[in-house]
Amino acid sequence: MSVMPPVPVPSLRTSPTLLEISADNWRLASLVGVVVSALAVAALPADVAFWIVGVMVALVAAAFVVNAYRRRYYGGLLVSPAIAVLFAMNIFPLLWSLGLSFFAYQSNRQSIWFVGLNNYIKVLTNDIAAADNWHALINTGMFVVLTVSAQMTVGFMLAMLFAKQFPLRKYLLILVLTPMMLSVVASGVFFTYYYDPTFGVLSYVINSIAGGQFILMDSKAGAVAGIVFADAWMWSPFVMLLVLAGLVSVPKYLYEAAAIDRVSAWRRFWTITFPYIRGLLMLALLFRTIEAFKLADLVILLTKGGNDTMTISYHLIRIANEQNKTSEGAAISYIMLFMVIVLTNLYLYLANRRTRES
Amino acid sequence: MSTIELRGITKTFGSFVAVQDADLSVAAGEVVCLLGPSGCGKTTTLRMIAGLERATAGDIVIAGRRMNGLPPQERNIAMVFQFYALYPALTVGENIAMPLHHQAIGKAEIAAHVAKVADILHLRDILDRMPGQISEGEKQRVAVARAIVRDPNCFLFDEPLSRLDVELRHTMRSQIKAVLSNLSRATVIVTHDQLEALSMADRIAIMRDGRIEQVGSPHEVFARPANVFVASFIGTPQMNLIEAEFKGYGDGKATVTFGRQDVNIPAAPAVAALAPGRVTVGVRPRAFTVVPKDTADTIDAVTELIEPMGAETLIHARTRTGGDIRVVIPRDKKVKVGEPLHMIPDPMQTHIFAADGKAVRA
Amino acid sequence: MAADTSIWQRIGFHRSFGVAEAGWGRTLAVAGVSFVYFLPVLFIIFTAIKPQALALSVPPTLSPTSLFGLIPDQFVFTPTLENFSSVFSRVMTGGGQPEPTGFDRFFFNSIVIASASVLLALVLGTLAAYGFSRYPLKGNDTYLFIILTTRMLPAIVVIIPVILMFRAVGLSGSYLGIILLYTAFNLAFTIWMMKSFFDELSTDVEDAARIDGSSGTRVFFRICLPQVVAGLAATFVFGLILTWNEFLFALLVTGPDTRTVPVAMNQAVSSGGRGTDWTLLAAIETLFLIPVFLVTFFLQEHLLRGVTFGTVRK
Repeated sequence: MSVMPPVPVPSLRTSPTLLEISADNWRLASLVGVVVSALAVAALPADVAFWIVGVMVALVAAAFVVNAYRRRYYGGLLVSPAIAVLFAMNIFPLLWSLGLSFFAYQSNRQSIWFVGLNNYIKVLTNDIAAADNWHALINTGMFVVLTVSAQMTVGFMLAMLFAKQFPLRKYLLILVLTPMMLSVVASGVFFTYYYDPTFGVLSYVINSIAGGQFILMDSKAGAVAGIVFADAWMWSPFVMLLVLAGLVSVPKYLYEAAAIDRVSAWRRFWTITFPYIRGLLMLALLFRTIEAFKLADLVILLTKGGNDTMTISYHLIRIANEQNKTSEGAAISYIMLFMVIVLTNLYLYLANRRTRES
Repeated sequence: MSTIELRGITKTFGSFVAVQDADLSVAAGEVVCLLGPSGCGKTTTLRMIAGLERATAGDIVIAGRRMNGLPPQERNIAMVFQFYALYPALTVGENIAMPLHHQAIGKAEIAAHVAKVADILHLRDILDRMPGQISEGEKQRVAVARAIVRDPNCFLFDEPLSRLDVELRHTMRSQIKAVLSNLSRATVIVTHDQLEALSMADRIAIMRDGRIEQVGSPHEVFARPANVFVASFIGTPQMNLIEAEFKGYGDGKATVTFGRQDVNIPAAPAVAALAPGRVTVGVRPRAFTVVPKDTADTIDAVTELIEPMGAETLIHARTRTGGDIRVVIPRDKKVKVGEPLHMIPDPMQTHIFAADGKAVRA
Repeated sequence: MAADTSIWQRIGFHRSFGVAEAGWGRTLAVAGVSFVYFLPVLFIIFTAIKPQALALSVPPTLSPTSLFGLIPDQFVFTPTLENFSSVFSRVMTGGGQPEPTGFDRFFFNSIVIASASVLLALVLGTLAAYGFSRYPLKGNDTYLFIILTTRMLPAIVVIIPVILMFRAVGLSGSYLGIILLYTAFNLAFTIWMMKSFFDELSTDVEDAARIDGSSGTRVFFRICLPQVVAGLAATFVFGLILTWNEFLFALLVTGPDTRTVPVAMNQAVSSGGRGTDWTLLAAIETLFLIPVFLVTFFLQEHLLRGVTFGTVRK
């Protein structure tokens, strides 16, 4: 990592003590902010509490900015606008929903009361709800494994096809990238058409070859295959692009040296090519796994969760949005989030360990 | 027999002619340097021998076998790349072992081969390091080790020393030469550095604009340059090339006019066949003898700049017609700026080039 | 010309010679694969120019031309541009006059919202990335990981409180709300990507400029930014593709005036209870594809160069 040698600037001011009233006393501002926000959230209705929390955030942010400016922390100054937007639009809502998961709250009712861990206990152990949740989670796991491995395989093979320079490559590449650019709404709906038992292309082809009536979505296996195929078709180009970027970054002279040294194709791939794409493969795997956890749109469009294809993300949308069980949804979200973060860290740990080994 | 033979090799990229009609043969155990300014086609020629580039026309014969259509894998050659092309994910030892996997030999034997070349090139201690962790000089030695670890038809070096500093270059030059002399394989080295070529090569092929201008031993290309380009390219300081008017030949001497001054220079009898007209007279800077004023047949110039070079002194002087002449004189000979110089060229080191640039020689 | 250079080799059907280059043989093979891969898209585009009545014909009509008799007549349809005009104006209720559908507005919304949020994220994210790269904070890597994590979260975790928050502060249905939301949605990726670009740059030139008395702003704009143009282009394209087609956020926080095309498309084709209007859907999607397709096409070389950086590092 490049570290800009900091221009040694003598500290212009000493930091204010904790209780000193000063525009750059961020410690005091943070303390006040946290205490006031907590009180407001606990005591006041949500729509009033929101504004109070908002004012407190602004206060703390202002203190940080003044502090950074007075002490020449340019890093903080440059980073803070982005952090502010991320905080307002991502981190704050997350903390809010984390808070909500400890309350009983439904978005179509006014009442709200504190229930502690009851929501978590309910979604994990309740006779009716928990069974559905676990089932949806297992389905999601299955989709993650299937779609990600399909995307990685197809994406990797496509990338290998495009790895060399050849005439018209640019125009053919954009053809393969197009599925990624389609709106899921349109491509998903069109897949229902392709799979349609009466009018669809797939059924027409299979019917005219094998005879009889072919209905892909008739069984769980068929429905899952249909969803996995559509998802893999749309997102393999993403994997392809990342892998291709790794492939084209391999210096040409290494392949020339390998040709001179009469290295076999197999050994050449593992010793020369693979080290260049390993990081990007891990990145693709990471991104696609996280996306696969969120799989809902294609399920909604293709099966509406029928044939035992309900995923946790779609289940969550139903609970939170259609049944208005906001806090229960939040509890499920956090269990799911916890799993994704654990998985992510596992990936990063493995990726970094592999890098350190070599 | 480990030989390389190029017959009428031509390479075009679109309408650009990179190499034109090049002929070259390298005998077993011989080291030939391809020397020329950048962009002259020397690297392209090397890559065609290696099979990394397809020749547009002509034949490439390695070890008596025509190799035109064959990829590098089937030519059995070893090459050291300009940027060494070490495999970054493999250790030094694994890098050196890479060419050995093609032959079905056991691990122990591979290790023995690697250890042997590592000893020759003093790489024993760094076999377990990664290429990113070693110095430029070590990388260079690893690249050479990887080339000599097996027994190929021939060796190819692409600017092998260009990335090293001056001192390292010097030691590597003799080290490579020593290694090559034990292998008795045809070797081609591409370089733009004439010192490298003169010190390492048995023969030098000088290239310009895709053509081989002259092939000869280091002594030959220095002492008997075939044309103006070779004359100007080989030797430091550069040979003086003086535009002159050829008047006639008689008594072993050519009469030429510099500006208005007629001078009789000793020249080969072949000059007699030359028609009067423009010629270029080439004289090495060390081939002048400074003589007293009023000596007959001197070339006259005025000292402009004095550059002491240690044992000798380099003088930039200007002729009356405005031409720049470089003269190297012994250190003990004192000259002042502005002082007129009268010089007689050494007949053995004086060359006359006809209007088309070719040397006129018996 | 050497005797063994046959006509086949001249046009490229020889064993690949330059190690990173292949000839027309590869083009032919890849064209086959690409065409098959592109077929579902091609079908959508063809549906967009089909007469509405043929949308669900059995057997399916596949091509607007018989390709000189190669394709049997039963699979061929006569192309029409009618569907494109009905994207913008069509008969909504039985027997009535054609009414404007508002799709010009939705396309406008999509373009404004996507480009504004991707550009905003690019500006904020690039600044932040420069900060992270050149003036590392204590715990720099932890901040970066947290930022990356926000991108890893399922959208649904964020969206419920965002809806509540937007309702509370009146951002529901406004341009500002959705633009800010998408900006945050793109920020993590932008910061991460741009940081790895800045990390790749040598700081020597910057230091020299600083010593010569250039201000920090000048160093950033004159020296740093021009070197990462490829990265900016690549980040822009990735962000655009993802934002352009985003559905869930748009469905839940846009109003009638700020609706984007994916949401409007979903409503247009399934409204009226008559089932999906296939030709209309295809026409909307085809039009909707054009801008992002063109941007990607013109920036695809940067895209390939761009994603070379930014491998998994923690």
